[in-house]
Amino acid sequence: MLQFETTEMQKTPRADLLTRHTKKVLKGNSAAAIAAKLSKVSLVTAYPITPQTSIIEEITNMIASGEFDAESVNMESEHSVFAALIGASLAGERVFTATSGQGLFYAHEVLHAIAHMRLPVVACNVGRPSFPWNIWADQTDSISQRDTGWVQYYCESSQEVMDTIIQSYRLAEKLKLPVMVVLDAFYMSHTSENVYIPDQKMVNEFCPPREKMDDQIDLEHPKAFGGLVGPDMYDKYNRLYWESIRKVESETIQLGNEFDKTFGRKYAAVEAVNIHEKTEKILVTMASVTTTARQIVNRHPEVGLLKIRLFKPFPKKSVLSVLDNVSGDCAIINIDRNYPGDTEGALMQEMKRALHGTPYNIFGVYTGLGGRDVSSKTIEKIIESDFDKTGIDGVIWMT
Amino acid sequence: MVDISKLIEVRGHARGGQGMVTAFEILAKIFSYRYNYEVQAFPFFGVERTGAPIQAYLRISPEAILTRNYIYQPHLIVIFDEGLIDQTPVFDGLYEEGSLLINTENPPEFFKGKAKHIYTVPATRISVENKLGSKTLPIVNAAMVGAMLKILGADISEATEIIYEEVPAKPEANEKSAKTAFRQVQELTDEHYQPAQNGQTPPVSKEPEWDVPFWDKPMSINKTGNWRVIAPKYEELEAPCTDNCPAGTDVRKFVRLASEGKFEEAYEIIYQHNPFPAICGRVCPHFCQQNCNRIFLDEKVNIGAIERFIGDKNGQYPHQPETVENKEKIAVVGSGPAGLTAALRLRKMGYEVTVFEALPKAGGMMRSGIPAFRLPPDVLDKEIEKIERQGVKIITDKKVTIDELDEKFSAIITAVGSHIGSNLRIGNDELLIDGIEFLRDLNISGKKEQVKKGETVAVIGGGNTAIDVARTVLRLGTKPTIYYRRTRQEMPAIAEEVEEAIKEGVPIQFLTAPVRLKNKNGRHELILQKMELGEPDESGRRRPVPVEGSEYSVLTDKLIKAIGQWPDPFVFSGKEIEARQGRLNEVMADSKTPVFCAGDMAWGGTVVEAIGSGNEVGREVDAFLKGKEWKKPEKNREVATHDRINYRYYLPTPGNPTPVTTPGNLTNNFDEVASGLTQETILKEAGRCLHCGECFNCGNCLNYCPDAAIFIDDDFRLRIDYDYCKGCGICVRECPCSAIQYVEESSLAETEPKNELHQK
Repeated sequence: MLQFETTEMQKTPRADLLTRHTKKVLKGNSAAAIAAKLSKVSLVTAYPITPQTSIIEEITNMIASGEFDAESVNMESEHSVFAALIGASLAGERVFTATSGQGLFYAHEVLHAIAHMRLPVVACNVGRPSFPWNIWADQTDSISQRDTGWVQYYCESSQEVMDTIIQSYRLAEKLKLPVMVVLDAFYMSHTSENVYIPDQKMVNEFCPPREKMDDQIDLEHPKAFGGLVGPDMYDKYNRLYWESIRKVESETIQLGNEFDKTFGRKYAAVEAVNIHEKTEKILVTMASVTTTARQIVNRHPEVGLLKIRLFKPFPKKSVLSVLDNVSGDCAIINIDRNYPGDTEGALMQEMKRALHGTPYNIFGVYTGLGGRDVSSKTIEKIIESDFDKTGIDGVIWMT
Repeated sequence: MVDISKLIEVRGHARGGQGMVTAFEILAKIFSYRYNYEVQAFPFFGVERTGAPIQAYLRISPEAILTRNYIYQPHLIVIFDEGLIDQTPVFDGLYEEGSLLINTENPPEFFKGKAKHIYTVPATRISVENKLGSKTLPIVNAAMVGAMLKILGADISEATEIIYEEVPAKPEANEKSAKTAFRQVQELTDEHYQPAQNGQTPPVSKEPEWDVPFWDKPMSINKTGNWRVIAPKYEELEAPCTDNCPAGTDVRKFVRLASEGKFEEAYEIIYQHNPFPAICGRVCPHFCQQNCNRIFLDEKVNIGAIERFIGDKNGQYPHQPETVENKEKIAVVGSGPAGLTAALRLRKMGYEVTVFEALPKAGGMMRSGIPAFRLPPDVLDKEIEKIERQGVKIITDKKVTIDELDEKFSAIITAVGSHIGSNLRIGNDELLIDGIEFLRDLNISGKKEQVKKGETVAVIGGGNTAIDVARTVLRLGTKPTIYYRRTRQEMPAIAEEVEEAIKEGVPIQFLTAPVRLKNKNGRHELILQKMELGEPDESGRRRPVPVEGSEYSVLTDKLIKAIGQWPDPFVFSGKEIEARQGRLNEVMADSKTPVFCAGDMAWGGTVVEAIGSGNEVGREVDAFLKGKEWKKPEKNREVATHDRINYRYYLPTPGNPTPVTTPGNLTNNFDEVASGLTQETILKEAGRCLHCGECFNCGNCLNYCPDAAIFIDDDFRLRIDYDYCKGCGICVRECPCSAIQYVEESSLAETEPKNELHQK
């Protein structure tokens, strides 16, 4: 269920569904904009920031030309961008925005509010680092929102960005959780490649309009939202949240299967490539680095690849099931394109948590930070590295 | 052709603004939609300003592309801007069997050693021809797409629809550009290519060290803080053509107007300084062309042809008679270019002016000294008629002296020219025919009996008169030979005229001077002596020195001297007066009316210098009559010399020379030998102007400014927003024609523009 032979299978629709798609050469940012249109988003708020800006530009262009029926509101900051989404989402709208780096950091407070007000907001984040100031590919901005309560998907291709946004509205509205769809700056946001755009009817069937909530804003019956909650009630909200977030992994897999039935492309929480009993090393990756790793795995039968698509909540069950038949000697090498200000990168931390109590050797590599190119040579060097010798507590820096 | 049966990686080098990223996206679409390939097109990610070197990548593959990193070992390197070769290591990492495509005017052989397969395409030329982008920053992407399709073995007809749809503007021009480039790719396969040479790039020349001043005023004055210590400013420099015109014509301006097809406005600009455009377009030595900066790129702009076209085209220009506003009356003696120009200037200033001409027709030397095959008389008639139409009165057949005119006028201008030929002084001078007199007799009264068909004629001299005489007698059926004591290089005659004379079959004996003349049986025996060049004389030309014992003689039927002219002293009643430009104080001693002097009798020797002299004397007389002190204005504007032109931003473009015919049978053929250019060619030729020192709105500064501190104002002019300019000077360095200068911060006026959009 989790094994794919090539990316081709993942990207190209089944032959019987090809006629219901239009092939276009698109950038990751264009794919995100078109996905928002296909998902029939009704309100978009925006504040520009590189390298996200073209998502919002394309959306507002489509709105202006009349091909996208939605409202677009220019805000004065990202804090307001997300705050306005609270109001619109409470009023029953299907909302969308996109941001990057410092914009996302600035919205941090509101991200908590959106999650815990249980609003089905979907936002795209084009990943950037924290500081020193830098605009290139890195996942530190979204990684540092791990504890806000947002579901996070990391995408590998323009096609996956488009498909994931469509799936995210289903998940968000079913579980009443916000979803952040993350793509890498430039390597995806500004790279043009083949994308199969599904026809609107298929998307309508898969993702029907948002259902009316019992507690949404109703002008006839005024209510207050977001008031002070005392110690006697507070933890109850968290408990309810916990119950929902536990369902995300299985819901992701189920949605991926359902998506496959409608569109002919399959998705899950993770993807395993070349992982079997004799696997000696497994590279754990997220987003664009995965593609280059696939090439290396093709050349090394002893090396497997585990792509983490659903990062938050971390898909512990899927990971364990992938490793079911893998020997305990296998080295798990986590490629972290993020620096969370800690001894270990985010993927390494999460994998350690997921594999608690297993015999695997878990290592981590910091690479590709701040947009440093992760070439096939870099990945060859990673699998050749002796982490016990050159690593410090199992961590190496690869530049 | 590049093999595309497997993954192909392409790396491109261009400048921001040339459209490379779009080009690669279009190629990706072509290979995806038409060939069902997997594709990736992406730029080297960065925050880039227009004009900065950028990179982009393209992957095309029949199978899935399993990589998302940059391209380090491309199969094909594409260079959109040849200038980048000196600036960035563009050839690095190319595969041993790899290919190279360069946008260049050079053939592939020029780049030998850089790659095994070398392709070239003149994409800039193609794009400019299709009006894509500006002259300095052409958008070459469609042409480069066409060339790349050729190299990748694609079918251009499959691709044009995608190009048409995907370009942001001008779809037809882009499609055409791509098609043309597809056909114009040149190829070289170098079997001996050694990849070891790869990656060697020439060293970049070191920048001069600047003595950087510092900002010591309050920060509030300058919103850019203390960054800017010197400021760029749009400040015109004088163009070398304008600077060199003796008449003072704004040459650069009329050429620009002509390039825009505004021939009437161009005529008005010329007419402000020169009432004889049709004449000067034909007979002027074109001082304006002599230091044209275009010479350092390819060849000078044919300004003469442009002026001639403007003059001819406006032959019927409706000049209005000017009203007389002043009581003073002015007499001008001589109706040559100096006299008529001065008369017109003063007439336009509101004076009543009368011109006295000794000959039956006005025009002076233009009438009497220039043969019809160089200047048809009707061209002259038209331009004089226009001057008369504006109120200048010309009295012909009236040879006057200052004494006669004294007290009848408020000022007298003498401009009688130099119509008396100098004597040779070799004995038997009475046997000689005077060249200038000969031309005058022929032009005015059609008298040509002095030479007969079949005779041999020796012409002595090396100036325009000698050449004109020789070409004239040739047309009268004689066999002329010119004898000149220096070499062709020192000849004062217009070089083109000498060339034409030789082409017509006039032999010229250089380094030969006459020493004696004898009458021998009704013919002339001319004793000549060989010369050699010695030290330079006061004119700067090398002095001819006789070679001992080199005398020889020739027999000739007729002998015409043309070794120089001097003014007829009749106007001063025979008194010896040293004629010079402006007021003549010596004459003032015994005349009551102030006397001024201009034209050939004062200085110069060409029509245009006489015009300049006429302009000047007109202003001086006006100042005198108004009781103002007059001083000749000094030329102090800085000139945009060739070292200030950024030639990289101009395309070499062949010039359009004036067509000159050499008729098979010259006898009695006085038809004009040079013809004008067509309007289409004139537009092209005027379009070759580099606009030295004058902004021509190319937009290079706007493109290059890293701080977006340059904007276009309501009058569509480029302006600098000094609130945001950081004084980096990139605009100054990248201006093609030196229209932006560095100035001291303190010299910026407070009224300098601020972009309102920025302030909102």
